[in-house]
Amino acid sequence: MRNLLRFILQHHFLILFLLIESFSLFLLFSTNPYQRVRFYNASHKISGRFSTRIENIKDYFSLYSDNRKLSEENARLYNRLKSSYNIVTADTVYAGDSLSPRNYLYLTARVINNSVNKQYNFITLNKGRVSGIRPDMAVISSDGIVGIVKKVSSNYAAVLSLLNRDFIISAKIKKNGYFGPLSWKGNSAERATLVDIPHHVQVNEGDTIVTSGFGGVFPEGYLIGTIEHFRFKGGNYYEITVKLSSNFRKLNYVQVIQNYAKQEIDSIENSVNQ
Amino acid sequence: MIREIAKYLLQFIVLILAQLLIFNNIEFSGFINPYIYVLFVLLLPFNTPAFVLLMSSFTMGLIIDLFMGTPGVHSSATLLMAFSRPYVMALFSPREGYQTGTFPRLTQFGIEWFVKYTVTLVLLHHFALFYLEVFTLHHFFGTFFRALLSSVLTSAMIIFSQFFIFRR
Repeated sequence: MRNLLRFILQHHFLILFLLIESFSLFLLFSTNPYQRVRFYNASHKISGRFSTRIENIKDYFSLYSDNRKLSEENARLYNRLKSSYNIVTADTVYAGDSLSPRNYLYLTARVINNSVNKQYNFITLNKGRVSGIRPDMAVISSDGIVGIVKKVSSNYAAVLSLLNRDFIISAKIKKNGYFGPLSWKGNSAERATLVDIPHHVQVNEGDTIVTSGFGGVFPEGYLIGTIEHFRFKGGNYYEITVKLSSNFRKLNYVQVIQNYAKQEIDSIENSVNQ
Repeated sequence: MIREIAKYLLQFIVLILAQLLIFNNIEFSGFINPYIYVLFVLLLPFNTPAFVLLMSSFTMGLIIDLFMGTPGVHSSATLLMAFSRPYVMALFSPREGYQTGTFPRLTQFGIEWFVKYTVTLVLLHHFALFYLEVFTLHHFFGTFFRALLSSVLTSAMIIFSQFFIFRR
């Protein structure tokens, strides 16, 4: 016993180090993607208020570009107004969306915390359950897709960024409709990788990649990016590097999209799988 | 004694705030990020008790982890750095050893000693940090390059800062 005590006293520096290090490595390795989101959410209970304040200050620096983007977006929406159409014949009536039930609802939110330089990046939004945000909603910016809401607290939402190695989405080549999974390889904030496009498909650099709408999270046809280059992988499939259209370093205001049909789609797909 | 503790506590808080408010927003070409909060571990006095050295470094890393949402990455890297600090110090010890009443400062031991001391510990911290974060050897050289460039940037910032904070 005395020898043991003396041993501990003699090597207390090493023993203490090993104890704390194993604790923090336990923290690191015991976290799967789901738990990582939970940790992120828990830490945001503490740091959310603080991050909001920082973001309030940083907001001023991007006023110029944000205003420009908003006015461009306004212009685009004005173009879709009834008054922008020249209705020539008397029997043409602009019906808008009123005939069909609403499918998607857009909510605006602000990014209060974001990173691009980690392997598992998350984004925090300043709205949560109270504002109607729920898990599995799509998040887009005016430039392209951003991520998927993973967890919500009452006032904040944690978004799985596209720049996260757990992120995966079904994407398609706009001009011919061939689709495959798109994911992020963790090496550049500007590029993602699209695979499983068969080799007989005609692919060119600069082709547009959009969301396929499968999975019911993202609406179909949202811009993801353009093809930067492509190569064969394993002989039969392309591995396509996609230049992302969203600038993740300058995210500020984003739209969160609720798909009203998602529940119905999920339930019918599940009923087939069983 | 109380004054000393208050001084290091203030340093602790200022470095965390500086890291979160300023240095986390610096991203040279996207992936190179300086982590200057490790300066706290570098500046602790020679006779810091082992317990205090390890616990304060761990707490520092844990707070950074909390704010950056990376469980255990910064805390384990910072702890590893604190653990190796005495060995690195012994490695670069001047001929007459470290005398009582001296502190690990650029002004007291000269630029050569401080650069060697800083670069070694920062390299250790950054390599542990980047490989723990990726937790794969898949993009080995990509990670290697990122860690190396970030270390250079952090070391340069730390050494540069010493000329402003501690003047003779």
